Amino acid sequence: MMLAAPGPGIVVLFAWLSPSYALYFHIGETEKKCFIEEIPDETMVIGKYRTQLWDKQTGSFLPATPGLGMHVEIKDSDTKIILSRQYGSDGRFTFTSHTPGAHQICLHSNSTKMALFAGGKLRVHLDIQVGEHTNNYPEIAAKDKLTELQLRARQLLDQVEQIQKEQNYQQYREERFRMTSESTNQRVLWWSIAQTLILLTTGIWQMKHLKSFFEAKKLV
Amino acid sequence: MCNYHGTIRLLMQVLWAHLLCGWAFGSELTFELPDNAKQCFYEDITVGTKCTLEFQVVTGGHYDVDCRLEDADGTVLYKEMKKQYDSFTFTAAKNGTYKFCFSNEFSTFTHKTVYFDFQVGEDPPLFPNENRVTALTQMESACVSIHEALKSVIDYQTHFRLREGQGRSRAEDLNTRVAFWSIGEAFILLVVSISQVVLLRSFFSDRKTTTTRVGS
Repeated sequence: MMLAAPGPGIVVLFAWLSPSYALYFHIGETEKKCFIEEIPDETMVIGKYRTQLWDKQTGSFLPATPGLGMHVEIKDSDTKIILSRQYGSDGRFTFTSHTPGAHQICLHSNSTKMALFAGGKLRVHLDIQVGEHTNNYPEIAAKDKLTELQLRARQLLDQVEQIQKEQNYQQYREERFRMTSESTNQRVLWWSIAQTLILLTTGIWQMKHLKSFFEAKKLV
Repeated sequence: MCNYHGTIRLLMQVLWAHLLCGWAFGSELTFELPDNAKQCFYEDITVGTKCTLEFQVVTGGHYDVDCRLEDADGTVLYKEMKKQYDSFTFTAAKNGTYKFCFSNEFSTFTHKTVYFDFQVGEDPPLFPNENRVTALTQMESACVSIHEALKSVIDYQTHFRLREGQGRSRAEDLNTRVAFWSIGEAFILLVVSISQVVLLRSFFSDRKTTTTRVGS
């Protein structure tokens, strides 16, 4: 059957054409919503969103609203901005982390037609995929012409690589934790010594000063 | 005629395959919940899907949050107050939009960072092909079990990372508090001891011109 061959291709196309990202939430007009992704370095993150505007007249959310934009801002763990772009009502943003740490992904609406949005709310469908979840295996299979077993092996390799990166990141974090704890330990130690010294010094000073004061007053 | 039937069959297969891989999602997000705020998330679920909601408070205050899960009709399926970590599995009994909310309304000034993982259904199959009537070969089933095991390893890693983040956040808080407290207390000590001496001196100062003598 000639039509059988493009079958999988059509399925893939279908899955890509109708973005049904399941989870959604509501945001207000000037609200900024931030999400944190704690990731190791050299990890790819793909975020997809779809927005729907609340229509007061019909009392429901419109399926699509052109002209409605979302501003996406991504900061890395040193609060340096690595992506700051305006997207349309349906958007897809990608970034690869170069430093390990907590990256912050912030979205806020930037609608040009304020009248459309005044006092309304926006429904945002969001899907953020990290690391090996970003790989599109049917696409990889088609591009590299892999058999089923080879594709499964590729998936396992990607997963293991992700685990390895996470372990490295864990090592780095544990070191930071240890440094913080040792610093606290040092500070407590120095503080207790310093406090004892201050107490002794002020006590001695007080007694000496008062003694000389009373002697001067001829009370002692 | 043959082509027409073939097209219809292909279309049905495509739609069925799309349905299969269109209803299995997992969302894992970490977001910041300001004080006195409530954040709700919604998801459309079909009947019979097994779902799991797992959440953990990563930073902030006493590391607790209120969580509430409602089904499409508003029936509360899960409600817990001031929980640090929990996991809840349920099978969707109705079609519709399920809603889960995290609330920090009991807190007056601490922001909380909350992580949640909402798994709906199974993961989509690697191959969106429809003729899975043939059994998997041994190699393929070995690959599948390795894949499942690695998924649980990644899951454990995530949990460990969150716990470690929590511990580290507490340690950093402690470190800052110790620093401020030691400086503060040194200052207070000096001020108190100097003012004690000054006060004592003022009791015996010569500024009082009359000294009353009782019963002389």
